[in-house]
Amino acid sequence: MSDPVYHILVVEDDPHLAAGVLENLRAEGYEVDTVNDGRKAVEWFDTRSCDLIVLDVMLPGMDGFAVCSTLRGRGTTTPVLFLTARGDAVDRIRGLEAGGDDYLAKPFHLEEFLLRVRAILRRWDWYRSSALAKGSDVLKFAGNEVDFRAFRGRSWNGEVQELTEKEAMILKVLAEKPGEIVSREDLLEKVWGYDVFPSTRTVDNFILRLRKRFERDPADPQHFLTVWGVGYRFLSGEQA
Amino acid sequence: MKRTRVFQFTVLLLVIVAAVQVGYWLFDQHERGAEKTAALVRLYDQQGAAAQTLLAAGVPLERIRALFPDLSVSPAQMALAPAPQAALLHEQRQRLTQYLWEGGFFLSVLFGCIGVIFAALRAETRVLNEQEQFLALVSHQFKTPLASLQLSLETMNLRQLPPERLRALMDRMLSDLTRMETMVGQILDSSRLSHGRMELKREPVPLEATVNRVVSQYLERAQTDHISIHSQVAPQLQVLADPMAVDAVVRNVLENALAAVAPVGGGKVTLTARALGGEIELAVRDSGIGFRPADQEQLFRKFSRLNAGAGSSYYGTGLGLFIVQRLMQLSGGRVSATSEGLGRGAEFLLHWPAEQP
Repeated sequence: MSDPVYHILVVEDDPHLAAGVLENLRAEGYEVDTVNDGRKAVEWFDTRSCDLIVLDVMLPGMDGFAVCSTLRGRGTTTPVLFLTARGDAVDRIRGLEAGGDDYLAKPFHLEEFLLRVRAILRRWDWYRSSALAKGSDVLKFAGNEVDFRAFRGRSWNGEVQELTEKEAMILKVLAEKPGEIVSREDLLEKVWGYDVFPSTRTVDNFILRLRKRFERDPADPQHFLTVWGVGYRFLSGEQA
Repeated sequence: MKRTRVFQFTVLLLVIVAAVQVGYWLFDQHERGAEKTAALVRLYDQQGAAAQTLLAAGVPLERIRALFPDLSVSPAQMALAPAPQAALLHEQRQRLTQYLWEGGFFLSVLFGCIGVIFAALRAETRVLNEQEQFLALVSHQFKTPLASLQLSLETMNLRQLPPERLRALMDRMLSDLTRMETMVGQILDSSRLSHGRMELKREPVPLEATVNRVVSQYLERAQTDHISIHSQVAPQLQVLADPMAVDAVVRNVLENALAAVAPVGGGKVTLTARALGGEIELAVRDSGIGFRPADQEQLFRKFSRLNAGAGSSYYGTGLGLFIVQRLMQLSGGRVSATSEGLGRGAEFLLHWPAEQP
């Protein structure tokens, strides 16, 4: 079976940079569209979809962060790789908070850029394929229910839970190995790739969020257990 | 820089302390003067009472007068003699006048010093902020062409490209270099203009030749961005200005017009000139993104970029129109801009003194 052809949308207002990125992505075998305006990028999603958005931050019409937040608000879960001239920590965090998956500061190395594109697509490929495999797109444990395709769940008390893609991915990684210890590094590698986040503390924060959503008593967790100094273990209702 | 700051703030603090001290000194002196006068008045009252007692005891008036020369002694009343009373009042007035003049002088000098130091500090803060903003902007603006250059070079390095693709990449790189060169030129010009280090000549400059030369330099870029440039300048029109300044003004206004048209996917730019009284007017109209009439004031400010990211990021440093306005002022001319609003194009009018035939 041949590899799937990924479709990438490049949102960049500088014509030279947009052309350079487009040519290189096409040379790698991706299908590429370009848009030079933030609003047009949002409108593009009214009628189409893609596997990855390469998004500049300073854009006419609407800045990249706003584009990303708007798309996330509409339920678009397509991964976003931010490209920007502002590479400081504050902007990186803003980008990730807006729902970005990765961040690359201009000027960047072509090979690093291509590597990151591949890494994001691989992560999402894993998520989608494992979510669709063997009817495992819905996870049920102790009265909780999570639909990995819709990024939505229902907790034990009946509350609807809208998951971020990162929360869903972490849950997916843990649920694939019920009862086994998963290290923080493994989670980082699988969910974020290599060096997007500087610290494994980030994973801890996401686990806290999952406990709040699905544990009866988040202070005394029964499903998302910390294994001190190593990582986490997920126990479904049966094991718990 | 930090040490200078500390020194300035210390001096400001010392001057404020000195001003307070002088104020207190004046107040204290005034109080003490008043106390002294009151003590004298009390003394004369006591002398009056003593004289009254002596008079009642039958001491002769001459004897009492000799004892209290400052008192006007009569059987009816004991009062301060007119001369010492006048002297007392005079001294009071003199002291008050002295305090007002001397104190006022010292205080105004001190307040003047405070004002000067405060203004210097504010000006320095403004310059520092401007420099910071400038550096951030310049580094940001340079990163885009740099990223494009790096991308082109690394593409050439990574891939086996046919000659025509190599040629296209090289053209792109040359264009990126031109972009950076334009930015460096603008930065240097604006720096010279800000510090008043530009001496302009005043000589007849044929406008048509300048406009044609500048337009020819931008034709290729305009074509890439689907922009048509039309110019209509009569050959006899001559402005009285520095040829370099006229060139820079036309270049920057045209640059601005192209940057305004590119984001809307193309359009046109027209340059027309006419003689108007003792002046020559060059009108540069574009069908670009325009601007809100309320933003008109901001246009010519340094680092002002109304459409940051919208095409103006292509070459823009936010200095082009600032340079235009300063050069026009130095040439004895003026520039104005109008637009009916966003998306409705803009018109820039340049007026130079005309060379009288």
